[in-house]
Amino acid sequence: MLPLLRCVPRVLGTAVAGIRAAAPSLPLLQPASRPCARPFGLLSVRAGSVQLPGLLRPWGPCGCGCGCGGLHTEGDKAFVEFLNDEIKEEKKIQKYKSLPKMSGGWELEVNGTEAKLVQKVAGERVTVTFNINNSIPPAYDGEEGPSEGQKVEEQEPELTSTPNFVVEVVKDGSNKALVLDCHFPEDEIGQEEEDQSDIFSIKEVSFQSTGDSDWKDTNYTLSTDSLDWGLYDHLMDFLADRGVDNTFADELVELSTALEHQEYITFLEDLKGFVKSQ
Amino acid sequence: MSLVVRNLQRAVPLRRARLREKVQAVRRALGVQRFDLGVVCVDNRKIQQINRIYRDKNTPTDVLSFPFYENLKAGDIPQPEFPDDYNLGDIFLGVEYIFQHCKENEDYYDILTVTATHGLCHLLGFTHSTEAEWQKMYQKEKQVLEELSRHTGTRLQPLSRDLF
Repeated sequence: MLPLLRCVPRVLGTAVAGIRAAAPSLPLLQPASRPCARPFGLLSVRAGSVQLPGLLRPWGPCGCGCGCGGLHTEGDKAFVEFLNDEIKEEKKIQKYKSLPKMSGGWELEVNGTEAKLVQKVAGERVTVTFNINNSIPPAYDGEEGPSEGQKVEEQEPELTSTPNFVVEVVKDGSNKALVLDCHFPEDEIGQEEEDQSDIFSIKEVSFQSTGDSDWKDTNYTLSTDSLDWGLYDHLMDFLADRGVDNTFADELVELSTALEHQEYITFLEDLKGFVKSQ
Repeated sequence: MSLVVRNLQRAVPLRRARLREKVQAVRRALGVQRFDLGVVCVDNRKIQQINRIYRDKNTPTDVLSFPFYENLKAGDIPQPEFPDDYNLGDIFLGVEYIFQHCKENEDYYDILTVTATHGLCHLLGFTHSTEAEWQKMYQKEKQVLEELSRHTGTRLQPLSRDLF
């Protein structure tokens, strides 16, 4: 029998930067030239001194001659060069210059890493919320690496953002929201063979008050781990009737991946600006 | 025991609760409602892939069965010793294929029922390799579908009717 109920635990937390497309040569590994090396006397720390070591102490005008007055190391310079290359590479592989549209009548609101899709249908407001932080599952490492002399495929795996998402359904004139917490399967990338998981699944269901900004843990929460499958299928049909079906889930992944990549590039640019700032 | 429905495709619409209701009726008619069963709905691409891997046939199809009991005599109900062995296995329904092959006067969910009945009979050891085996399988499917028809008023024909 094929393992229908198989579930592979997922290790949360991602080393996103670590599995991005590799930037070209690493300047940090090159022999560093030292155009603004200070005399050793300036770097020394006298016994009993309460001052910071010279290297970390802001010393009036920068020793390299740029006149900035701030900390300005060879490492920072190499870091900025690395970031420049990384940003260039990421922009080259960026699939969408603006966020893709969802089909159907969904309106998109983005607030930082959080996205909200809203749709009003026949006396109901349906809201789908997700956050792209920690939304890329870790890459699957095969048990055996390539043997010596074997050619290694250079192509980087395409990263896909599969965030948990929350669907809230509110009837007009009511302050009660039916909240369904939905997840994508927890298999790692590269383990798609014989995958028999639904494209997405409902994990928890509860009622929350629309007036409360935080969820109340005192409200009954239905976990689908031990749920009657008949009820589960009705809940899935309920979502499908409100536009949250497998096609929607595919489009959400596309949107989330685009947003995650956009935020990653913005982060790299911010990081470069921070390192460079004087 | 559990009937688990999975929908792995987005090619055609599928009401999971309606499919469940139909498959539950088939399980009852076969007397195997105590056994776990997985029904996995897939598109043409996926069922073609499974067909190629497990049957060496590189074409999409309507149903593929993966029995928990592989050497069951046709029609025998398994007698498990342990609770975990109350399991019939999994049926893969090629719902896109089935949808595309539905005739105008046929109801999609009726055809899903007929196809699931065929798949469940395979899980219970029925085959159609020889005419004698086919006769047994055809009679079983017919019996089940007639029982369903008594409740629903529909007239469902076994999937295996034209195999010999």
